[in-house]
Amino acid sequence: MRDDLHVLTGGYVLDAISDAEREEFERHLQHCPTCETEVRGLRETAARLALACAVTPPARMERRVLAAAYQTRQLPPLSADRPRRAHPRRRALPRHLTLPPRRARPGRALPRRLAVLAAAASVAAAVALGITQLSAQHQLDQARATAIARVVTAPDAHVETARSSAGGNVTVVTSAALREAVVSTSGMASLPSSRVYQVWVLSPSGARSAGLMHGSSLLAAVRPGDRIGITVEPAGGTARPTTTPVAILPV
Amino acid sequence: MSRPETRQWQPEPEAAPPDLAALLSQVARGDHRAFELVYAELSGPVYGVVRQVLRDPAQSEEVAQEVLLDIWRTASRFDPDRGSAAAWALTIAHRRAVDRIRSENACSRREQKAAEPEPAEDDVVETVAATLEYQRVHRCMDGLTGLQRESITLAYYSGYSYPQVAQLLGVALGTVKTRIRDGLIRMRDCMGVTW
Repeated sequence: MRDDLHVLTGGYVLDAISDAEREEFERHLQHCPTCETEVRGLRETAARLALACAVTPPARMERRVLAAAYQTRQLPPLSADRPRRAHPRRRALPRHLTLPPRRARPGRALPRRLAVLAAAASVAAAVALGITQLSAQHQLDQARATAIARVVTAPDAHVETARSSAGGNVTVVTSAALREAVVSTSGMASLPSSRVYQVWVLSPSGARSAGLMHGSSLLAAVRPGDRIGITVEPAGGTARPTTTPVAILPV
Repeated sequence: MSRPETRQWQPEPEAAPPDLAALLSQVARGDHRAFELVYAELSGPVYGVVRQVLRDPAQSEEVAQEVLLDIWRTASRFDPDRGSAAAWALTIAHRRAVDRIRSENACSRREQKAAEPEPAEDDVVETVAATLEYQRVHRCMDGLTGLQRESITLAYYSGYSYPQVAQLLGVALGTVKTRIRDGLIRMRDCMGVTW
């Protein structure tokens, strides 16, 4: 191990070294397992520095990236001269990206039947609300209505209800299997025409807009641990939340 | 805001944490759904670090898009034996941002940008995104010497090279090299990084 090169591990993972130094260091890395181990640890450390400054990108970026990706040919895997393990180690996410498993609340056994009944009623209400408002407002097409019905009637549908600080209630029905959620509100204060309610999916990496609240909203690609937030925003909505949410619910 | 009232519809299956490495191997096979999930997980950190380095929001958006597209394109090259998926992706992101500033002699532009007021960032997003990891990183940063902290910050968050950092801090090049390495090792140990 050459000391003068080994000291470059830090600058290498922070991209502080010149191209010439990088080339030399990468050649050295191939013959220096100690350096390679250190580089891995420091690279994970640098990643934490990045995670600490996560900012939700504008919503338009997702559409652009997804559209571009699906028209872009992917690179094939590198040839198998470096065989992969038959059972690659599964890597847990860094701690900040994982969320503690949701724990059942103690002492729930008895009221469980009641809770299920209440939840069933709530699902029915969500369906009714969703479908009637939908047809009344012509906001969603039939496919969307079917999608909403599919979520709220999914065998693993999970219901959360919270009061909103704008009055009324917000109900979120989530199907983990479908990775979709339906948000509906009832009795929330009506807003002036210059303001709208906007729905957000909040995850450790930031907030993603799920559009404006119209009766019921269908949210795709939700995951356990995400939270749903509703904020009051200028008409037309914004790329990122600008006000304190009137409600936040777990999915 | 009132406390959410939780009602359980059915017993919840044991929720496994999303496994980015597994998702990436699905992405490598062209799985759109997996890529959407990867996007949801990584777009914030990718955009965040690119913007931290470049400052200019429009340019950051452009570079972040390239990075995320790169993740789609090169997912087959990710090797879970060599590091975490997040580190793989964020290495690409930081490198791209730094390449961008170094390739186009952007110094003057960055200085000009730095003089403009930063957009208000007091919204929910920053709070949501920042809390946990931000606190952990900054707690560990506090354990560094001033020179270690400044060297790492200038190199990583501002994208400066060794000689630039040395010049800004008025110390020898060799000092910057050792301070960055020592500081990062201390950060690694403080945050309990186990790679």
